[in-house]
Amino acid sequence: MRRLVRQLRPIAALFLSGNRAMLLAGTLLSVVTVLSGIALLGLSGWFITATGIAGLSVTTALAFDVFAPAAGIRFLALARTAARYGERLTTHDATLRILSDLRERLFRGWAVSGAAGELAKRPARLLFRLTLDIDALDSLYLRVLVPIAGALLVALASGIALGLMHPLLGLAVATLLIIAGIGIPVAAAMAARRPVQRRACALEVFRSQVIDLVAGQREWIMAGRLRARQESLAAVDRYLSGSDDALNRIETWSDAGFGIASALLLAATLVAMAFLVEAGSIGAPVAALGLMLALAALEPFGALRRGAIELGRTLLAAYRISPRLEDRGLAPVDIAPPPGAAVRLQDVAVRHPGTSAPALRNMTFSIRDGGRIALIGPSGAGKSTLLALIAGEIGVEAGRVECLKATLLTQRTELFQDSLRDNLRLADPQASDICLWDALDAAGLRRDVEALPAGLETLLGEGGHGLSGGQARRLALARLFLRATPLWLLDEPTEGLDGATARDVIDRLDARSAGRTMVIATHIRREAAIADRLAIMDRGTIIAVVRRGEPDFTDALDALRPD
Amino acid sequence: MASTGALAAPPRVARMGTTASRSGESVIETALTEVDDGNISSGRSDPIRLSRLGPVLQVLASLLWLPQAGLLSLSIGSLAAGGTVGTVFWYASGVLLLGIARSVLAALGNRVAFKEARVALSQCRARAVGILASRSPLDPLRPASGLAASTLAEQAEAIVPYLSRFQPARLRATVVPLAILLSLLAYSWVAALVLLVAAPLIPIFMALVGWRAKAASEAQLAEMGGMNAFLLDRLRGLATIRALEAVEVTASRLRTNAENLRLRTMAVLRIAFLSSAVLELFAALGVAMVAVYVGFHLLGQLPFGAWGEKLSLGEGLFILLLAPAFFEPLRDLSAVWHDRAAGEAALDALRRLSEKGPELPGSETDQRPPTTAGYTASSVRIENLRFRYSPHGSLVFDGFNLGVASGEHIALLAPSGKGKSTLLALIAGLALPESGRILIGGEALSADNAARLRRNIAWIGQNPHVFAGTLSGNVTLGRPDIDRQAVRAAVNLAGLGEVAARRGPAPVGENGVGLSGGEALRLALARVIATPQAGLVLADEPTAHLDTITAGSITDALIAFARGRTLIVATHDPVLAARMDRVVDLTTMNPEGVA
Repeated sequence: MRRLVRQLRPIAALFLSGNRAMLLAGTLLSVVTVLSGIALLGLSGWFITATGIAGLSVTTALAFDVFAPAAGIRFLALARTAARYGERLTTHDATLRILSDLRERLFRGWAVSGAAGELAKRPARLLFRLTLDIDALDSLYLRVLVPIAGALLVALASGIALGLMHPLLGLAVATLLIIAGIGIPVAAAMAARRPVQRRACALEVFRSQVIDLVAGQREWIMAGRLRARQESLAAVDRYLSGSDDALNRIETWSDAGFGIASALLLAATLVAMAFLVEAGSIGAPVAALGLMLALAALEPFGALRRGAIELGRTLLAAYRISPRLEDRGLAPVDIAPPPGAAVRLQDVAVRHPGTSAPALRNMTFSIRDGGRIALIGPSGAGKSTLLALIAGEIGVEAGRVECLKATLLTQRTELFQDSLRDNLRLADPQASDICLWDALDAAGLRRDVEALPAGLETLLGEGGHGLSGGQARRLALARLFLRATPLWLLDEPTEGLDGATARDVIDRLDARSAGRTMVIATHIRREAAIADRLAIMDRGTIIAVVRRGEPDFTDALDALRPD
Repeated sequence: MASTGALAAPPRVARMGTTASRSGESVIETALTEVDDGNISSGRSDPIRLSRLGPVLQVLASLLWLPQAGLLSLSIGSLAAGGTVGTVFWYASGVLLLGIARSVLAALGNRVAFKEARVALSQCRARAVGILASRSPLDPLRPASGLAASTLAEQAEAIVPYLSRFQPARLRATVVPLAILLSLLAYSWVAALVLLVAAPLIPIFMALVGWRAKAASEAQLAEMGGMNAFLLDRLRGLATIRALEAVEVTASRLRTNAENLRLRTMAVLRIAFLSSAVLELFAALGVAMVAVYVGFHLLGQLPFGAWGEKLSLGEGLFILLLAPAFFEPLRDLSAVWHDRAAGEAALDALRRLSEKGPELPGSETDQRPPTTAGYTASSVRIENLRFRYSPHGSLVFDGFNLGVASGEHIALLAPSGKGKSTLLALIAGLALPESGRILIGGEALSADNAARLRRNIAWIGQNPHVFAGTLSGNVTLGRPDIDRQAVRAAVNLAGLGEVAARRGPAPVGENGVGLSGGEALRLALARVIATPQAGLVLADEPTAHLDTITAGSITDALIAFARGRTLIVATHDPVLAARMDRVVDLTTMNPEGVA
């Protein structure tokens, strides 16, 4: 229980920190809607019965004030429609506000150091899950909070109205309403918790198996397992179907539960009215009014059903999302190195969470200001980890890190669905177009951009779609060139480019980086060749450093992949 | 490919507002749509058959309200006339029993409709999966994995609410108002007339408001999906955003976008909700007018309308109770209208996914080959090969010939795009040539024997797919004849021992998260080593993009495994090519190659 509260707290805070007045207004309007609906029915029932009795004799018929109730009926009809319209507008607006707030907070939550690195390692499936989780949270307000508040107030109002006829009756009806109205959704939510979470899980498995079937089709074919994979997918679908069926059973029978409770309430109220009429405490018109109240009183609770069944999914989303709303990340440790040095590491050890072997160990080394060093070594030696450490993305397990402000050029070119200009301006929001063109020129992309009809306004697709691999890399390079930081970290800067483009990119990098410190992680000769030192890494540590001019330098270069 | 594909898929759009915005269309269509025979076409070849049982049960349940309302109005009538508790008690029992019957019938109808719809979903999925699996991997038009996953997993779900809710709602909206109208008509033609006038007015007004909202709201919902896409796009590039210290800029951009979107969405929703407000208004006014008419009639001020007689109190109440029930099915129908739109979109998407393309030659039979310790190297002979990817595409091979002796190791050397990979795929029987023959161990490859021949071929590609699962699961690929020892041996021979020890049973997968490029290739190598019966090994650029040390050790392991087997390597790595018995330069041998 306490765990549940802890998970829900950040989400609840999110809901409440927003526009409380708006949330309240939405809820109140929903109450007004339901109440005027009930009142419309009740008043109409009373009116017809009263006129029916008055119409039996001409004198009472003439004395009967028809206009007040008739006007009331029309007013309630209009009020109900207007309140409903207002309710929907307010609740949807409030939900949209919350969801936009949530997206921003989640982004900030993931953008703290540490978390960002973790995110990069996540499979796409988990990123996709994130959006499903955000969407799942919208039902918390619209389908749970608003209906609960509305239904409870309606139960209270019906109880009071019937209590005016007889206190015991009011108490009994209100109690029955709350027991059935809250009890059924709670029971449904509890029964649905497991299947709804199983379903969410199975759907992810289904999804990833479809991806594996299509993307890995060749592997399955060659292993003779294609049919087995189809059968496995069918099995996952059967499992999904099982939880779907369980959920539908719960939903259907809680619906039926509401129907039966409603019939029971109606029948009981009818008998109670008969007693009260016989005792002479109320007349037939009031009895009709009471019956109409009983007819409509359970209806608002029915709106809880959907929310109750999805509650398990909503809680799962809250459970997965809430840590990111609270995490503040690693405290930035900015220790400046002594003058003349750009990076200084002393006895550093780094371990990735959940692994036994350290990713970096016994690291002691320094780079002088203006130096250029290439990190070489087999994949898995810790080159990228070392870059992340210097960039401040990961913390140390032991040791001391001192370094200048750094900019990392990631191994994978990361461009965004945005205009070319805004992609560049991420590096420097204040940059003028002249600066941008200058950077493009230096990266060798000026002519390509000039040839585009929209120029800097050209919109890139998802992940920079629309540019060739070489163009995308040059754009990333131009973005780097806009950074004034004294230390550049490059992770395999020309991987995947053809020889000519790669050499051109390296030449431009070489020219533009004068006066800066550069660290290049690489296994390609052309990239290492512009360094003045080579640090050879193996299994998480630097085993040797060779300087340009030493005989080992050329040997080490020759061992790298030619072009 | 899988990772970006999954994200490129359209994220689910928020559900809110959709129902309302679509309801503008609903009643109009109801008026226009005729009830068909209950079948919804999912492509000409395979119509989805749904029985009528579910909808009929639900209609019956709705109709039970008529006697229930009758008993309620009789009770009040009897109370007004001085009836006793005793009489009313029997009426109340009837109300209770009818109420229970109504709930149970509705529940049964719902269950039946759901089960049928769910079976239809499974069938649609199985059919699409079957067709996806049987398309040749060389077919360039094969759907991307991300699209296939989104369509089959999330989008296809929309079929169930459509099939299970829309049909019953439509039947109810057709039958129930009519039944109520006829019952009312028996007592008062005025009351019937009021409802009859209110009902067709609804579509007219809703059409005026709704049509404008519909187009706008569709664009809007796409944008809502775009919001998720924006967030995902930025999250995927988070390393860069952090490196450029652009977190603050991006976060406020996200906020501004979301705020603008909210304002535009609300503008659309205002119109959309207006259209459903029209439905509610007419329903409420219809009820109010009926109530007021009945009241005045009972007072004697509106003496007409009841076929020349005067309504009794009970009859008046009966009319009042039926009036809201007249509008209810219409409202329900408009509420499920979004289910219909989403369901039809899903059926459409599945249909596109299930389009047939060039087929994979040879289907797998269930019997597994007996595991034999031995293997025989198979020779390969290619005669007059002619192939192109699509019937009108350019030829990749035309009159190509090649012979490889059994046990020989050869390198196919050519720059990329000259058909190396295609040739390996053709030898592996992943597609059939247009003309010419490929003989493996003297047996000409055909659709009949492709599956059998493939069992003795091991294949290693340059971008091996790493499946979601454990490392050892990735080696066995579920092949039952590979035991744990064989896996361990394969893992060690492929140089993955250290990785296996480090990762243990932790899952790898979805394009090798946690595995470097070199490690993924070692994994592919381990898969090959775990195929001891293979007499022919095909390797497609196994050392591309690797550092020299890793490339060297993979080459060693590959050659060690291929000793005594036939090995064909497609590569442009001169170091690897030099270690083969023979180098075949495809540029000179296949001048037509222009793939």
